[in-house]
Amino acid sequence: MTGTGGPDTPAIAVDGLWQVFGEGARPALSELLTPGAATTDGVARRLKEQGLIPAVQDASFTVKEGELFVIMGLSGSGKSTLIRCMSRLVEPTGGSVLMAGEDILAASKRRMIELRREKLGMVFQHFGLFPHMSVIDNVAFPIKMKGVGLKERRARAMEVIELVGLGGREDAYPRELSGGQRQRVGIARSLAVNPDVWFLDEPFSALDPLIRRQLQDEFLNIQATLRKSIVFITHDIGEALKLADRIAIMRDGVIVQIGTPSEIVLNPVDDYVGEFSRDIPKGRHMTLAALMEPVRGETDAGGPELRTAMTLDDALSACALTFQPMAVRDGDGKVVGVLRPEALARAVGEAHSS
Amino acid sequence: MTARSPLKGALDSKGKQAAALVVLVGLVCLLATPYAPWLVAWPSVLTVPMSDWISQGLGVFFEAIKPAMRWVSWVLGFGMAGANWLLVSTPWVVVIGVTTAIGWYLGGLKMAALGFFGLLFVLASGYWVESMNTLALVFVSVPLALLLGTAIGILAYEVSRVKKAVEAVLDLMQTIPTFAYLTPLLLLFGFGPVVGLIASAIYAAPPMARNVLLGLERVDSDIKEAAVMSGGTRAQQLFLVELPSAMTQIMVGVNQSLMAALSMVIIAAVIGGFNDIGWEVLLTMRKAQFGQSFLAGLVIVVFAIVIDRMSGALAQERRRYSTRVVWWIIVASLVAAIALRDILPAAGTLSYFGGVADTVDQSVGDFTRNYGSTLDTVKNTAMFYVLLPLRIGLDDAVLPFTWGFQWTSAMSAWVYAIGVVVAAVLAWQGRLTLGLCLLVLIGVIETGVTQLPWIFVLVGVGALGWVSSGWRLSVLCVGLLGLILISGLWDRALLSLYLSGAAVFTCAVLGGALGLWAAVSTTAWAVIRPVCDMLQTIPLFVFLIPMLMFFQIGEFSAFLAIIAYAIVPMIRYTRHGLVTTPDDMIEAATSSGATEWQILREVRAPYAAPTILLGLNQTILYAFAMLVIAALIGTTGLGQSIYIALGRADVGLGITAGAAMAMLALVADRLVQGFAEERRNALGL
Repeated sequence: MTGTGGPDTPAIAVDGLWQVFGEGARPALSELLTPGAATTDGVARRLKEQGLIPAVQDASFTVKEGELFVIMGLSGSGKSTLIRCMSRLVEPTGGSVLMAGEDILAASKRRMIELRREKLGMVFQHFGLFPHMSVIDNVAFPIKMKGVGLKERRARAMEVIELVGLGGREDAYPRELSGGQRQRVGIARSLAVNPDVWFLDEPFSALDPLIRRQLQDEFLNIQATLRKSIVFITHDIGEALKLADRIAIMRDGVIVQIGTPSEIVLNPVDDYVGEFSRDIPKGRHMTLAALMEPVRGETDAGGPELRTAMTLDDALSACALTFQPMAVRDGDGKVVGVLRPEALARAVGEAHSS
Repeated sequence: MTARSPLKGALDSKGKQAAALVVLVGLVCLLATPYAPWLVAWPSVLTVPMSDWISQGLGVFFEAIKPAMRWVSWVLGFGMAGANWLLVSTPWVVVIGVTTAIGWYLGGLKMAALGFFGLLFVLASGYWVESMNTLALVFVSVPLALLLGTAIGILAYEVSRVKKAVEAVLDLMQTIPTFAYLTPLLLLFGFGPVVGLIASAIYAAPPMARNVLLGLERVDSDIKEAAVMSGGTRAQQLFLVELPSAMTQIMVGVNQSLMAALSMVIIAAVIGGFNDIGWEVLLTMRKAQFGQSFLAGLVIVVFAIVIDRMSGALAQERRRYSTRVVWWIIVASLVAAIALRDILPAAGTLSYFGGVADTVDQSVGDFTRNYGSTLDTVKNTAMFYVLLPLRIGLDDAVLPFTWGFQWTSAMSAWVYAIGVVVAAVLAWQGRLTLGLCLLVLIGVIETGVTQLPWIFVLVGVGALGWVSSGWRLSVLCVGLLGLILISGLWDRALLSLYLSGAAVFTCAVLGGALGLWAAVSTTAWAVIRPVCDMLQTIPLFVFLIPMLMFFQIGEFSAFLAIIAYAIVPMIRYTRHGLVTTPDDMIEAATSSGATEWQILREVRAPYAAPTILLGLNQTILYAFAMLVIAALIGTTGLGQSIYIALGRADVGLGITAGAAMAMLALVADRLVQGFAEERRNALGL
């Protein structure tokens, strides 16, 4: 092993990653990337002029140990290509990908197989389950590749099957399962070898909204206990904001912004990013730090206790607590009920976020 | 065609130019032929003796590798003798029991019954031993074919550089007529069943290779990537994940491979030397014992159906049937075989259908006696008024003996004059291309296909190629035909072209009509479909029997046999194209107030055009395949050359005639594909 990950070494460090499709992409790119050459945009334009397709352009970011890093973008933005570069399902044209300090792109074929058997797990949009294997054989497959004996690998497979809540269905075949159950198998299989780095390529996109939400919640629960370093691909900004520690937004092969969910919502770098978060309820992601003004003179120390990290929704509820309940009248002016203001604030916040 | 969109306008003018050129060349040829006979008959001085060259070249090569091949033959001989011994010496009760058990395992009661009664019929027919001999050949050749096919399929899939080349070779292997395989093999391996074995292994490999490749390519990319990410090596990915995931498609390959092998094994009977069921058909056919021949043919059909349906079940998502029943059936048959060994008659001695054969003979005899004149009238009408004029032209075909009067040059002039007038009217209506095509057609019928000047044929095909796809195809087609021209096989090629052309035309009209009928009426389809299934299961050889029974040896029987075999794809594709029009298109047309008939004409038919063209393409290839087999019952042309070459063990002639046949098929295939592609593009599919 070449990489010796100290405590500060990021789990994944991607630097200047390019993926260019087309005949003779590699020499064309390396010629254009000579030091002091054009900007990313300029290089991409020159590549396109040569009939090449720059699917990922100069991507750079790091994923910290235990961080859930989401890459968000519309179809064709290059996000799927990017994750395939990182897992080396496609060969990147230029740049570097370090995992725990080890250069993945320089790894030999054999080392790559070893890494996949020990350190990497991946979940696919259309599940990628092997149709001729039962659930348990599917899940045990990566362990089988390591050469672990039947009994031991079945035991380990059962553990992860229980973890994803599929206990009792281990002998079923993929065709007998629902979409949600299939993706649970996919997740179980990707976790079977207990990987350090977990790639998920639009894992929930092919599912119904209700099942999707359910699996998102369970995914967060699993992550809360396992603390994997995750790269998660999605085209759904809601999903990205819900799950991510940090989000990278991609457009036309370029990462246009990287930030925490609230940074993305509150400070979009351009209209493109802003357009995504326009329909997102600000109250849920915006914190008071962004809204408060500097202290000038005396401030009333009373009222609810507010903190800079509070979201607007929470702050609103807190403020509403200070008001008395108010009467609600019918059409004739008769009092028919009582409204507590904090209930109003909470209801409005929930209505926005659903 | 009227020019509305700019695209159509451009195509139209391309079509017009091509048609005008062909008419012009035709006119020149027509005027010049009396003075320049070399326009029709390619001068023998310029003929390149390719056949001889190939014979000599291959002769040397074959001599060199013969010892090795003879050794292979010797080894395979053992395998075959083993399989043969196993099948023939196993009591028939057990063979039937095992078949029934396999049937149960694959498809439950229905399939078990098929196996049981199918083999019972074979037993009762008295052809048990012959059938087992045939089956032994299939059993040895199919594993070879499957291995070879799988290896080729994997190679093409793994090494993307060779994929194109492999596909071209597979195309070629499937267009080269079956008989053409036999001659070189005969020289290499010597007379005997091993030739049939190897020929069928080679012939049955391409469908397997194709399906393996297709199956592997169709495996979901997520599944492939999941295998990679699981840390599998390339071999593990391929054998543990990709091949098993492609199993359904691969089983389709197994099914096709089995059927191809059976078909070839039966065809290989013409070599003789092996007491198999194909030989029995051939022998009885030659002796004009049509009843026996019919019975033996029926045995082949039963075999084909049992093998096809059982192996077809492999390729379908199916229920699991209890293996306990399977063992019970096998054990029961073993017990029966032992307990009843002294009571049960030996397999070959049974013959319950001898009476049937005689009855068939009798009734066919009666029928031909009673209705002989009607049959002759049918045959003669088709020959005199359609086939013969097409073959040698009106000017030679119309005689007092046939049409009741002598064709004169004045009549020719009249026909041309009328043609010109009609063409002028059409041109005036803006349908110039149609008018020009009409003129070409009249010219062809006046002259006869086999007497067309070669320049005219080359220019005509070149023009078609140009219109259908572009100058590349045009050059390819002219080049291939040019090779046939200088090889000295031109006359025979034209004969083949004429007969298959007539058959294909009939198939297109008749099959198109049947397909249309099946598309509009589900009742019709319920009747036509099983007939189509049946016709596609029957080995080529068997088609000849009924034709011979009623119409004796000759071109007309061959013509009918070709139609019976080649019409199926036309029916299927026409129907399929017409019924698969997307619902929203139909709904849009209905809500626009279109009647059923209008929808059919305005929406379904244009949408179905590319599919129907593909059906036509298949029909052409089927017709060529059958043309060669039909040489057995007396057609002239390339098929006959191949058959003669087989008899004389003349490798050069066998290969050149086979290659010429394949080239004709290839040209026709590319032309139709070109038109289909153009239609698909026009529809944005």
